[in-house]
Amino acid sequence: MSNGLVLTRRAGLALAAGFAAVPVLTLPGVAQAAPVRGGKMVYGRYADSLFLDPVLNDANVDIWVMNNLYDTLLTPMQDGLGVAPGLATKWSMSADGKSLALTLREGVKFANGTQMTAEDVKWSLDRARNPKNGAWVDLVASITDVVIDGPLAVTVKLKHPDLSILAALATFNTAIMPKALFEATQGATDAEKAKAFAEKPIGTGPFMLVEWQRGVIMKLVRNPYYWKMAPDGKPLPYLDALDFQIIPDDSTRLLKLKAGELHGTEFVPYSRVKEIQADANLRMELWPSTKVTYLTMNVRPKLGDGSVNPLSDVKVRQALNYAVNKDAVIAITTQGLGTPMTSFMSKSTPMQHAQTLYKADVAKAKALLAETPFKAGFEVTCMMVAGNVDSTNNLTTIQQMWAPLGVKLKIEQLDNPTLTKRYRAGDFSMRTASWTDDIADPNQITSYFAYFPNIGSLHSGWDNKKVNALFETSQEEVDPAKRKAQYREIQEVYTEEAPILFLYESPYPVAFRKNAMGFVQIPLGNNLFEGAYLAA
Amino acid sequence: MNRGTWLLGRLAQIVPSFLFIGVAVFVLARLLPGDPVSAMLGDHATDATLARLTAQLGLDRSIPVQLMQFLGGVLRGELGDSIAYRIPVARLIAERLPATVLLTLLSVAIALALAVPLAFVAALNANRWPDLLIRFVFQIGLSTPIFYVGLLLLTVLAAWAHLFPVGGYGDGWRAHLWHLFLPALTLALSFAAVLMRSLRGAVLDVINAEFVDFARSKGLRARVLLGRHVLRSAMIATVTLVGLHVGSLLGGAVITESVFAVPGVGRLMVESIFARDYPVIQALTLVLAVFVSLALLATDIVQMWLDPRVGR
Repeated sequence: MSNGLVLTRRAGLALAAGFAAVPVLTLPGVAQAAPVRGGKMVYGRYADSLFLDPVLNDANVDIWVMNNLYDTLLTPMQDGLGVAPGLATKWSMSADGKSLALTLREGVKFANGTQMTAEDVKWSLDRARNPKNGAWVDLVASITDVVIDGPLAVTVKLKHPDLSILAALATFNTAIMPKALFEATQGATDAEKAKAFAEKPIGTGPFMLVEWQRGVIMKLVRNPYYWKMAPDGKPLPYLDALDFQIIPDDSTRLLKLKAGELHGTEFVPYSRVKEIQADANLRMELWPSTKVTYLTMNVRPKLGDGSVNPLSDVKVRQALNYAVNKDAVIAITTQGLGTPMTSFMSKSTPMQHAQTLYKADVAKAKALLAETPFKAGFEVTCMMVAGNVDSTNNLTTIQQMWAPLGVKLKIEQLDNPTLTKRYRAGDFSMRTASWTDDIADPNQITSYFAYFPNIGSLHSGWDNKKVNALFETSQEEVDPAKRKAQYREIQEVYTEEAPILFLYESPYPVAFRKNAMGFVQIPLGNNLFEGAYLAA
Repeated sequence: MNRGTWLLGRLAQIVPSFLFIGVAVFVLARLLPGDPVSAMLGDHATDATLARLTAQLGLDRSIPVQLMQFLGGVLRGELGDSIAYRIPVARLIAERLPATVLLTLLSVAIALALAVPLAFVAALNANRWPDLLIRFVFQIGLSTPIFYVGLLLLTVLAAWAHLFPVGGYGDGWRAHLWHLFLPALTLALSFAAVLMRSLRGAVLDVINAEFVDFARSKGLRARVLLGRHVLRSAMIATVTLVGLHVGSLLGGAVITESVFAVPGVGRLMVESIFARDYPVIQALTLVLAVFVSLALLATDIVQMWLDPRVGR
């Protein structure tokens, strides 16, 4: 933790809430004063949220802050590898793996003071699994029914055994919303009501939204009814108010932080991390993430223009991977803050199987390429979002590393919607990309990266029957050990076949004023402010 | 033709230009590759999800039908909802427009305050050291990119010297003006350079004109001469320039608003284009067109007042 990560506050919370202890990591010499109650924290975000509906939202800008407003039945663990109690205190799976009984926490109230009931829970889960509702339905597709057994008891019935269901109940889209209040909201359809409700969302989370000027500022105040207790036995959150200011420009955000106009800010450019670490007034926090950065390859035999696609040859893809020195890319783009990918999943993803994949070896790359019809080299184009500094650094570095193979990399800068359109249509050779998990389970990333029937394996056209079958089996697997073995095999095949160019994992770079403490960002990206406070 | 008729004629020209702008921006927005739904759902959504949202937003209807819906809405005064933010476009623009209007007006004021006196100093000392110095300094202002000047001012005057806040907009009018001073100055610097050069040239022309020689021969004092004859004639070109420049100041506001975190429509426009948020792009273009038209109309009126030949 040489990067200045301080995790004590969250660890304290974890203990207080009764779950397993998370290792307490402290920098030597950092005094641990008792948290202070009250005050307003101002946090600078690079972009505003769009739609604060747990089920119908589409983007990380919503997902990563929604947990400050809403709670889920279970919560992801700090390390991202398991779940802890949330609005449910206990759960047990039936012997056949198709029935999950949950005990609800007593006395939980929504931010408007009304009691949370089993009816709210059933309604929220039913809404989350309604196939007409939004992009996240797949995460809860195994649920067939939610049965109310009593005021504090519900049972989730499953189509088939599903070991990812616990993680799904700890994911934003299964957040519990107040049924009566939602239904009383203006609007003819669920979508219209959702629009109106999301203007001033009411959940059971630590804060509630009181004012929102889109793209400018979001003002939150503490939920006086919040159920979670601090280690001192008094309720959380510590802060009275929390402002999210939207400042798109990286340099301006950091200047505001330095001038003391912000207490903290996200997405610090890697090139500025050392400068912040050296600033006596600031504290750099690098949170372990599920973020992986890679290049997607189109592996179809022919490209959009009808020409033969060298990337359809697995040996070409392996050669390109061997030719890239990931450590050098990491040094250049992330200033050494990243680590090489060891699977298509991040190390923070459950059941990740770490492999030494494609250690830089130019001789091997050349030998592999020599076995293909493309031994004389070829030209390949990689799309990137115009102006993205990290992508530029990655691609220009890779350009030089591929040159000895006779592979000429052309860089094509596009605006995001144009790039997305061509990507979805399969009209590309390569593109830059990164991914973060939304759920503490490997099934989501696998369904997008490796399982063809979902989105054609990242629109690459890579269709591996063995992986498809393994994934389908794993989705209904009852035995955790077997499921782990299935995921291990999927990852090994994926590495061997290399439908992507593996690059690096990187942490979430967040910076705070020295007195602004207690913020937590979990590997899924969620920003937790319930334990945040301003020290005197 | 009297001046009233002339003004009415100018106003009448505005209506068809709005219609043209409305149709043009509708078509142009849809000619951009990509669409709002895939921009919003990103890389990973399934085709089914994409199709469902497209239908929900009515974007699966034919382009002519959508165009008629848009124009009909504009006539009824309904601008629709933002696709990305899911709130009425009118509200979004109403929240953001004041900051941009204030920023533009403030930058025009600063530019004039800088350019007018210095142009006179430069013209009256033509090709001597004060003139050369002024022109040199303004040339730097003109040739430095706006975002760089902005960051420089922010770093030195705000973050380092703490004379101004580092971006933002503040609460209340006085706070707004204080927050907007640096971005307005940033915008004003390059504009003032253009104004100064034009006004300096105009003043030089006027000083050497025959009617000024005549006035001078009547024995008018220099100050009266400058105020009554030279300033008035030379300002005609400046006023035209200000009017024509409102459009480009709005363009500059796009960058300035991002650097200074000013919640204006410039930033909103860029965000909306990146999100392919058609309703916002369309409505905002119309609103900005109104803004520019009004500025041009005001220019015409001021010109009419300054120059008796206009409108005759």
